[in-house]
Amino acid sequence: MITEYRTFLNPKKVYLPLTDVDSKIAKVLVEKEDRVLVGQIIAYKYNGQIKTPILSTVSGTVVGFADKIDRYSKNVDHIIIENDMLNETTELKNYRKLGAKSQPRNFVHNVTTYEGIISTAQVRNKLRDLGIDKVAVDGLYTPLKFSATTKHIVINAIFTNEPFISTDYETIIHHAEAIADGICLLGIAASTESLTVIVDKFMPAEALEELGKAIVDKNIDLVTIDVKRVKAWDYKVIKKLVKKDLSFNLLDDGVVYTTINAALMTHNAIRKGLPVTSRQVAITGDGLNINAVYDVRIGTPFTDLVNDLEGYHEVENMNLHIGSFLSGIQLDSDDFSITQTIDTINVSEYREVEEDVCIKCGDCNDICPAGILPQNIMDAELRNVNLRIVDLDTHLCVECGLCTYVCPSKINVLEWVRRAKRRVG
Amino acid sequence: MKFKTKKPPIVMNSQSTFKRLYTLHFSLLFISIAAIIIKAYTIVPEGVIYNELDQSFKVFLMLITGAFVSVIIELFYSLSEGNTSKFNSYKGFVEPINTGLLIALLLPTVTPIYVLILAVVVGVYAGKIVFGGYGYYIFNPVLVGVIFANLSFSSQLVVTGTPLMMLKEALHGGTFTLTNMTELFVGNYEALAIGSTSVILLTFVFVYLCIARVIDLRISGIFLLTVLVMSFGIGYINFYVPGNFSGVFGYTLINMISGLTLFAAVFLISEPVSSPTSRETKMIYAVVVAVLMMLVRILGAETEGIVFAVLFGNMITPFINRTVKRSNSKTLLKTSISLVIIVLFLSVFFGFILQGSLSDIFASIGGALL
Repeated sequence: MITEYRTFLNPKKVYLPLTDVDSKIAKVLVEKEDRVLVGQIIAYKYNGQIKTPILSTVSGTVVGFADKIDRYSKNVDHIIIENDMLNETTELKNYRKLGAKSQPRNFVHNVTTYEGIISTAQVRNKLRDLGIDKVAVDGLYTPLKFSATTKHIVINAIFTNEPFISTDYETIIHHAEAIADGICLLGIAASTESLTVIVDKFMPAEALEELGKAIVDKNIDLVTIDVKRVKAWDYKVIKKLVKKDLSFNLLDDGVVYTTINAALMTHNAIRKGLPVTSRQVAITGDGLNINAVYDVRIGTPFTDLVNDLEGYHEVENMNLHIGSFLSGIQLDSDDFSITQTIDTINVSEYREVEEDVCIKCGDCNDICPAGILPQNIMDAELRNVNLRIVDLDTHLCVECGLCTYVCPSKINVLEWVRRAKRRVG
Repeated sequence: MKFKTKKPPIVMNSQSTFKRLYTLHFSLLFISIAAIIIKAYTIVPEGVIYNELDQSFKVFLMLITGAFVSVIIELFYSLSEGNTSKFNSYKGFVEPINTGLLIALLLPTVTPIYVLILAVVVGVYAGKIVFGGYGYYIFNPVLVGVIFANLSFSSQLVVTGTPLMMLKEALHGGTFTLTNMTELFVGNYEALAIGSTSVILLTFVFVYLCIARVIDLRISGIFLLTVLVMSFGIGYINFYVPGNFSGVFGYTLINMISGLTLFAAVFLISEPVSSPTSRETKMIYAVVVAVLMMLVRILGAETEGIVFAVLFGNMITPFINRTVKRSNSKTLLKTSISLVIIVLFLSVFFGFILQGSLSDIFASIGGALL
């Protein structure tokens, strides 16, 4: 249970991964012993089409490069920066108003900010320059990539995926105006009018009221869902917007789907000129002595946070889970650092649940939001029938994990469907 | 620090396979005890040497034997495999006991014990263990055992005077009047199966199991609905006297509440392992079973067609599983509409076959097909 709010903005060293699952090519711009400032571009990563900058999140000295696992459990190169605790900020390239003076190097006021209505290109460039790219990665969430085909912006105001929500409603209550503005800015970036916010029916009244007040005259639709009934609600909301079957990558359907944290970051970037140097991470689970919502510097090693939370409980088998419980991933080591894409981390005791045989009850077939038949796909995968896997439209699976959730035999159905999907390509 | 990477650290939904088996187990025990009590009050047929209490004891003995033999076979199989850890707790016994009890409940009171034992051996061994145990068989092992007993020992299992038999005679020219309705509902009469008589209890169990999600309403409900529609249609064509619906209602009612209709809806056709997996295929399966059952009841030599019908349904399950590829609203609508049309057409068709008017038509066009 989350009991407190904490900040951890001054780690001794930060470890920034140079590549991720999409962008596999990195070009480093700094060398060892170089001094870097907050917001300075230290590397670029490419995914074949787009280059994304990697910003330094602290000011200090580059002390070296190392192999480390990242939050996807892959071994990648990390750049290590030693923090000098000065928080000196670089002057960011921006579209300055004519006549505006350069401000002293103070974290908040160093750049000119945009007020009022601005153009699509300005928002897009600013987001790219400040390295706001991926904020949520689990399940259906998409990176903040805008193109001519982007038609809808969908914002999930529920912190993590259903059905286990640990929503941080404090953020909504305190920053409702900023969030609403961020959503509008995302709309400008995508040059679309279709803005949707998904909220929970059982949200605290205060949070809902604040959010409602903020978005009331901004032409944003509010969709209420009932999270007590497990059902792929976000899939259904987006399907209603798009009016066709969704593909695995929602960007192909012209939808940018993200969380309120992304909206907040967007607001901070455009209106205040802040690069993404910190983010909110909920750290939960019975494996830790204290559970807390952190405002943490990106690049902080997770072990530092664990020390700050007074260490692990002395339990034999532990389980470390990043992201949503239905579609997140598990790591076998805690030697990773916080990135922009981590929203929750759960460390808890591992409880073995015995798997029974599949009794072919068809519960997974009923719940599947994409309308495919996971049980039949699993069966085909077990029998290695490629033709049948193709026949069953396996490519429509969005890996939401509901089939695993409903299975009465506790089989990891999603894993089988994933395997089938990889097999046929 | 090393971590385990298996499944997410959450308790998945509260449903579990074992819980479902357990619910079924208790319903079966409930029905078994009810059967023993009811048999103590059922009037014995004329010309037999035993009395009502003996009859009740016989039912008790059958149920115990069925469950015991089934457990023994599974135990021997586990011993031969060298792994009996399954039987360390009561959990391992639930599934074999269910199978044994169901086989016993599906046989009449006159069944000799050796026939029951053979039926359980065939059902559990040839119907279940051969395929790999629970979760892998393709035919419902209960019905494999029952059909073996019914076909091989038909002379030992002769039952006369059940409501359905009287109805069949009525269809072929005999007379039949509905007498004691209360007894029909309580189940206080001689029937083809000892467990199938009490409509009230079976309805109660049906509702309970539906709520506990042990049985799928899309199979059992559509099965009952199809039987209702078809028997009403057939009854309307054959027994409708202008202004008087009592014949039609009587025919429908007997088809619904007597025989194995309700017992099958509760315990047989909604058995998950041998039935299809998606909602469209479940609907198709239910309709196929219901139609075949009605066909055997009307035209077949056997009184009760459900055993053949469900086994046929199991047989075509892999095929109908293959026909449906997506399970979205479009396919659901298409399947429902075609099934409604098929059921309505077939009920009229069967009605006319029963009436004999189709033979007239064939005769009039010069053929003698029927």
